[in-house]
Amino acid sequence: MSSSLTCVRLTLFTVAAVAFQIIGLSFFVFGFFPVKPALSGDSGSESFHAPTCYSMGNESVKDLPPYDLQSLYQELSGLPPLFDRLILMVIDGLPAEFVLGKDDRPPNKALMEAMPYTQSLLANGIAKGYHAKAAPPTVTMPRLKAIVSGAIGGFLDVAFNFNTQALLDDNLLGQLSKVGWKMVMCGDETWLKLFPGLFMRHDGVSSFFVKDTVEVDKNVSRHLSYELSKNDWNLLILHYLGLDHVGHTGGRNSPLMAPKLMEMDEVVKMMHASAVMNPDDKRRTLLVVASDHGMTENGNHGGSSYEETDSLLLFIGSKSHATDFPSIISNDVNQVDIAPTLALLFGVPIPKNNVGVMIPGVIDFLKDTQQLRALQLNSWQLLRLLQKQVPGFPCGSFPCDGFSGDQGYNSNDIMEKFCRLYLRSAFLHDSWISTELSRSDSREDKSEIIAAYYEFLINANQWLSHKATDKPSTVIVFGVMSMILSFLIFSISIYSIIQESYSGEKQLSNGIFTQHLDEGFSLCVIFILVISMGSSSMVEEEQYIWHYLISTLNLLFLRKTMQLLQKESTCRFFTLFNGHGKVCIRISSIFTLLITGRILRGWHQGGVNWTHLPDISKWLEQSGIDLHLIQLTAVILTIILILFSLSLLGRGMKIVLVVGFNFLMSGLLVLYHILRYQHNASLPSSNAATSLAQIIYATLGVSTVGTVLAVPWIMPIQISKACCSDRNQNSAVSHPLKIGSQSQYPELIYSLFIIGWVYIGSWCLLQLLLQQPVNSVVTLLILMQIFASFLFFSQRMLQQKQWVEVAVLYYIGMAGHFALGNSNSLATVDVAGAFIGISNYSALLSGILMFIITYASPTLLLLSLVMYISIKNLEIAASPQNVDSGHVLKRILGLPCLVPLTINSILLMAYTIVLILMRNHLFVWSVFSPKYLYACATTVCVLIGVFVVATTVSYAYMVLALRKKYEKLHW
Amino acid sequence: MEMEKKEMASTSSTPISIPEAFFLHLISALALALAFWIAHYIFSTHLISDPSLTLFLILVVQSPIVILLYSRYRTDRHQCSYFKAVARGLLGLPAGAIINAFGAIVLGAPIGAQYFLKTLNWSLVMSLFNIVPSACVFGSSWIDWQRLFAYTKPIGTIDHMICIPAHGAIIGAWFGAWPMPLDWERPWQEWPICVTYGAILGYSIAMAASLVLSHQRGLQHVKRD
Repeated sequence: MSSSLTCVRLTLFTVAAVAFQIIGLSFFVFGFFPVKPALSGDSGSESFHAPTCYSMGNESVKDLPPYDLQSLYQELSGLPPLFDRLILMVIDGLPAEFVLGKDDRPPNKALMEAMPYTQSLLANGIAKGYHAKAAPPTVTMPRLKAIVSGAIGGFLDVAFNFNTQALLDDNLLGQLSKVGWKMVMCGDETWLKLFPGLFMRHDGVSSFFVKDTVEVDKNVSRHLSYELSKNDWNLLILHYLGLDHVGHTGGRNSPLMAPKLMEMDEVVKMMHASAVMNPDDKRRTLLVVASDHGMTENGNHGGSSYEETDSLLLFIGSKSHATDFPSIISNDVNQVDIAPTLALLFGVPIPKNNVGVMIPGVIDFLKDTQQLRALQLNSWQLLRLLQKQVPGFPCGSFPCDGFSGDQGYNSNDIMEKFCRLYLRSAFLHDSWISTELSRSDSREDKSEIIAAYYEFLINANQWLSHKATDKPSTVIVFGVMSMILSFLIFSISIYSIIQESYSGEKQLSNGIFTQHLDEGFSLCVIFILVISMGSSSMVEEEQYIWHYLISTLNLLFLRKTMQLLQKESTCRFFTLFNGHGKVCIRISSIFTLLITGRILRGWHQGGVNWTHLPDISKWLEQSGIDLHLIQLTAVILTIILILFSLSLLGRGMKIVLVVGFNFLMSGLLVLYHILRYQHNASLPSSNAATSLAQIIYATLGVSTVGTVLAVPWIMPIQISKACCSDRNQNSAVSHPLKIGSQSQYPELIYSLFIIGWVYIGSWCLLQLLLQQPVNSVVTLLILMQIFASFLFFSQRMLQQKQWVEVAVLYYIGMAGHFALGNSNSLATVDVAGAFIGISNYSALLSGILMFIITYASPTLLLLSLVMYISIKNLEIAASPQNVDSGHVLKRILGLPCLVPLTINSILLMAYTIVLILMRNHLFVWSVFSPKYLYACATTVCVLIGVFVVATTVSYAYMVLALRKKYEKLHW
Repeated sequence: MEMEKKEMASTSSTPISIPEAFFLHLISALALALAFWIAHYIFSTHLISDPSLTLFLILVVQSPIVILLYSRYRTDRHQCSYFKAVARGLLGLPAGAIINAFGAIVLGAPIGAQYFLKTLNWSLVMSLFNIVPSACVFGSSWIDWQRLFAYTKPIGTIDHMICIPAHGAIIGAWFGAWPMPLDWERPWQEWPICVTYGAILGYSIAMAASLVLSHQRGLQHVKRD
């Protein structure tokens, strides 16, 4: 090593690496999970006018009663509704192939025979069938949103809607309810989550029991005769889950598939015969049969393969409409086309964010002028969306007048093409209207205009939906490169630090297997984690990996400790306990680590596949033991343990007494809150509880910040060495930690110990307040693990590498994260705790609380690094007295800060690459993407934690150095 | 210096040639195979259908062979009779089982009444693989235990014969546990089936490896001489 890294350079490198990491991460996230600008609000009567730059004043329209609004829409649109009622029958997971066949071939005979009625409708032209291509993720909720709103949502929309699953965007059901439609829903309860309170009558069934293929559909069908006899509804939604369940249990070729199709066919027959064809009923009914997605051969779905995206769409009207040009219209449409088509057929405005196009075949239901008018409305709506998404897109009723090369920085050809196409169709349409009276060969003109409109619509549709699902590869590559760069900087700096600090001592090169097994395995842990991330099952069950690896590492430490016994004692067992307390402490702390780790693992049966197995938390809840008693015990034990750890510092100091008293007060407040408000669940959100929680937040915050700021100033400084060692003999002789012994910076060690202790204590109290009652024991166990590992590391008998110790602390934090019941699915985020002490709903505050709850354990371990630095004062003790401050800071802070950053950087980078490789995987949306969000949140947690540690330690050091200088001057 | 002395002591007191070691390992392997054969043809069961019975059969067949064979190579011949070595092997069996069971549970083996027999039998078999041979050979000599298990520095053929298969069984069991949390829904993912398979596989590979290693050591010694 010719040039060693100075402190300033190291800091600069680290900051640069962190900056690269953040930049790369944000680029990647916005590239991989595109967020498209959405139009807010609902379409109103303005959608029947050509788009302009100025918003139309339609306030008066908003207040119209439903019936008036309906007639206003009719008047403006010039499209009288063709139907009065709609039956939307959703068959979950039915591939269009089963009904329509693939590539112009009919489906196989068994499937044809399974649906005789539907096939006869198709053959007679009464029903029109389409392959409606669904966009990934092919899971039910996003697909239903696409069907009713015509928009393609991004992944982040799904992820960031924990609190409300209700569909707030403009959608078909909202539009229909505005014009006074009455709605009834039977089937999947997802609809109820999406549209709470919209349905007049509903019966939701859960899709939770996937093995149930019969009851789930019976629960829908039993309402049919009643609903068909009642004539009070306009929209009847039926959502059958059974077919999807058949697929999940037996795949496409399940023997249950044909009977299930037959059952669906019966329902179609019943609907068609008694609702659509009913001669007594004058109201015209449209039956739409749709499926939300398809399924793979194994019956799974979620990805983007043809089998999964091939969903069915059937329009079943009352009479046959002979198509004009059946040959040129293919039956491949998009799922998003359903929304505009139904909106136009029923005479309501097209939902604002729709990217779909009116389905060509259905247009034949309409008259000539109406057909063109419908296409015009659809074009206007898409034009509005284009204007929103492309900032420079020209607006006005003649949008492309001023659109020339000099105008646009985004003078891309696509925009020009859209303009040209739109203008052409608009021009043709206008001239067609002006010559309407003297028209002779209308048919040819009309088809030309229709073709022109469709050219525009389809181009716009493709561009818009690609924008929603396409991933800009350059942005993603840039993001990944930036992350790799950050990783390289981290690893170079950490390598140089390790080289520097261990360059002096030459290790016995006895082979890595015997001497450096723990170091090798610490590296292996990272490697194994990276490898395991490529398997979706391993991602789902990540908690087992962490626990397994950390226990193995602890067993290796045990083995290493056993090596010591040779020097200390010959096989007599008693000497071990009499004379060699250090080995005894090491061994007992390792056993504490192992046993608490095992209890933590058994506390929550996390993950996805094995959650039904028994675990301690379930056992506690079922066995009838008073959970609150356990919680109280845990809280009291935690407080006692924390206070005890402070007492190790010696009771002589005044600061210790003040800080300890402060902590005890906060602890009692938390205890009071738990006793008073969490005990009886009857008044969970009373005002008093909220204000008490706020008082606790304030107390903890003020005392923590106050301690951190004040302790370095108050801490008594000892200049003479004798005084220092005197005090140490008084305070530190009987306890194993030996704080500050033989150190030349005892006041720094003391201050850091107190600050680190306050961090740990306050954070634990906060968690005891916020976490679920059953998790309070977990908090206690994690705290025990921290202290046990500190005890273990403080015994400097082995040449333990410091980076191994910091890495172990990081691993314990991650294992604890899963022990608290978290997993890699977004479902386990504890939302309930996020509202403690918040009087009125605030997304930001709840989000912060949710983050604090979820990342309780990693943050605790990162904060404990301050105390760890204080305990590992070996380096400082070894360094000469008047060495420059940068060097000292680098030695005490370098590894504790860089190791977590580097490990996280490796994991994040590896996971990013895994996500790119898995972008077409079946579970990319259900498993890998949620895990990636967790990885991002972990990154945030690590950055915040390391920042806090670094600033605290530097602050304490600077203040003390300043005071020392000052006192030396005045000596 | 010390090491050399120890080496001298261990090699001189237990003369064992490579063919002899091969023979011993062969008998152990055959006993394992015999146990599986008995389970399959007499009790018509196997590890997957009844792990606890099969493990018990392995224990019954293997334990006399291991204890009787390894006791022949006890280090302290002057102080220790053959029967004493057998006795400490028998004592080492439950003691080693406790250590193995502790390790397995700490690493995440399920706890519960329905797992008790499986864990018991499994840990007894594991003890047979890793603890019992050295209990027979070294007795309570802490230095030898430490050399083999804390430092993993085998010297001499008998050390190789004990140390490497013991480590092989542990490492094999460690790797064998990896498929357990996966959602493949295979019957062999249950505790302790795949762990046992891993342990047996690791043990068998390590037996062969120990022969190769001691052979190489022997060659080196010859060259050095």
